[in-house]
Amino acid sequence: MLIRFLLPLLIFLGASSLWASEPASAPAQSTVSQSIQVKEEHIPKPLTVLLRDFFKTTGIYAILNPSPEALNGQGEKMSAFAQSWGRIIMFIVVFILFYLAIVKKFEPLLLLPIGFGGLLANIPVVNMTAPDGFLGIIYNMGIGNEFFPLIIFMGVGAMTDFGPLLSNPKTALLGGAAQFGIFGSLVGAAALSQYTGLVDFTMRQCASISIIGGADGPTSIFIASALSPELLGAIAVAAYSYMALVPVIQPPIMRALTTEEERRIVMPQLRRVNRREKLIFPLLIVVLSAMLLPESTPLIGAFAFGNFAKESGVVDRLSHEMQNSLINIVTIFLGLGVGSKLQADKFLVLDTMGILVIGLLAFAVGTAAGVLLAKLMNRFSKEPINPLIGAAGVSAVPMAARVASKVGAEARPGNILLMHAMGPNVAGVIGSAVAAGVLLSIFN
Amino acid sequence: MEVHLVSESLKFMVLGMGIVFVFLYILVLLMRLQAIIIERYFPDRPRAGASASGGESEDEERARVAAMVAAILEYRKTKTGGN
Repeated sequence: MLIRFLLPLLIFLGASSLWASEPASAPAQSTVSQSIQVKEEHIPKPLTVLLRDFFKTTGIYAILNPSPEALNGQGEKMSAFAQSWGRIIMFIVVFILFYLAIVKKFEPLLLLPIGFGGLLANIPVVNMTAPDGFLGIIYNMGIGNEFFPLIIFMGVGAMTDFGPLLSNPKTALLGGAAQFGIFGSLVGAAALSQYTGLVDFTMRQCASISIIGGADGPTSIFIASALSPELLGAIAVAAYSYMALVPVIQPPIMRALTTEEERRIVMPQLRRVNRREKLIFPLLIVVLSAMLLPESTPLIGAFAFGNFAKESGVVDRLSHEMQNSLINIVTIFLGLGVGSKLQADKFLVLDTMGILVIGLLAFAVGTAAGVLLAKLMNRFSKEPINPLIGAAGVSAVPMAARVASKVGAEARPGNILLMHAMGPNVAGVIGSAVAAGVLLSIFN
Repeated sequence: MEVHLVSESLKFMVLGMGIVFVFLYILVLLMRLQAIIIERYFPDRPRAGASASGGESEDEERARVAAMVAAILEYRKTKTGGN
């Protein structure tokens, strides 16, 4: 409060002393302004007034003196808190994102652009999130219309090798069990808003929050922008932060649900997959999703196209582009566009806390469901299945598979589960796209 | 309008998990079927898989490189030995 009064005073004193010390330059200035006056009605102002007016256009002034008339990028009135302390808190939040990205190396490819987008979105006076602003243009170009997540999915498809899944098809079911994280947290979100007065989510909002449990960034953004764009920023930040935290969140759950013996299970060598199987697989998932769940075909179609281009072996140039430049460019836009949703007046609400809590729950439930189904399958399957690979059923490719392999190697050094865990892992991507399709078909 | 969110979401859960499992189960069956058909009628020619990025072919490649290196070293040894 004190600063709010002292700062203008200081500036004023400084300005007046400047005025007093430069009497010689004043006449020259007034002649210049006179010559302009003829053209555009220039009203000569003394330097103090000029400085004071300029000060009123600065960010410091805007943050210290919230105006009741100030509008956000969407043309809505902003509260005094959102204009002052809200912005400062958001600056701290984006610095936390920078810290996680740069020092902790948590998903830096996304958290860094998202953080910077958030920084720009909270700059006072200029509204970069307005439809004609820098961030607004990016948002409308590809996030509002759900375009960018599909391009990312195409690139991910071009990077994915379905070999491990094809050589052991039944592990695909583990990728399905982990989607229990989505629907379990849907119930959680509904219960939270029904039985506690803390948050008030609609059914659509509950659905888009729960998709965080799919552990798949593009799918989360796709669903959030379709069902509840107002929560997009918080959902994307939660999804990517928790994906980065997979090595922290998953192992305790995995250890709690398995015995030492189960973790020590060695799985048989994977059979060699025929190249034609890999080539036909993307067509298979497109046809299957078209027949069962057309709502999921945008996601699965883009994914399958990328994979088909890779496996065809004749369009290496295209597949290379999808895996590199294209996905990189779109990642920049996606990050900045999502960051534009980190405006103080939208992000600093109790809903965000609710989203973070439910998102964490979703990850934990998904991991647990995957491990439990893998235990069950191990009991009834002829070939042994290490339950740890069930945890890789949450998408988060390839982090979740690496975590499964690492926990397995702790129990039995030299037991490499990575390729076995890649099966459920890539099936998890398909599973969460299917779950997303189900949610879309319910609400559209 | 009072909607019971929790019971609604439980219904969604049943539907959603059902569809996900049906989808993936059909996918498992199709994968098995195509593996059988392809193995029987279109087996890989021995060299065809070499370019694919399978773990096994990589091992083969590595073994081949190791054999070549060993052969070259052996050759050089005999050459220097002869001089």
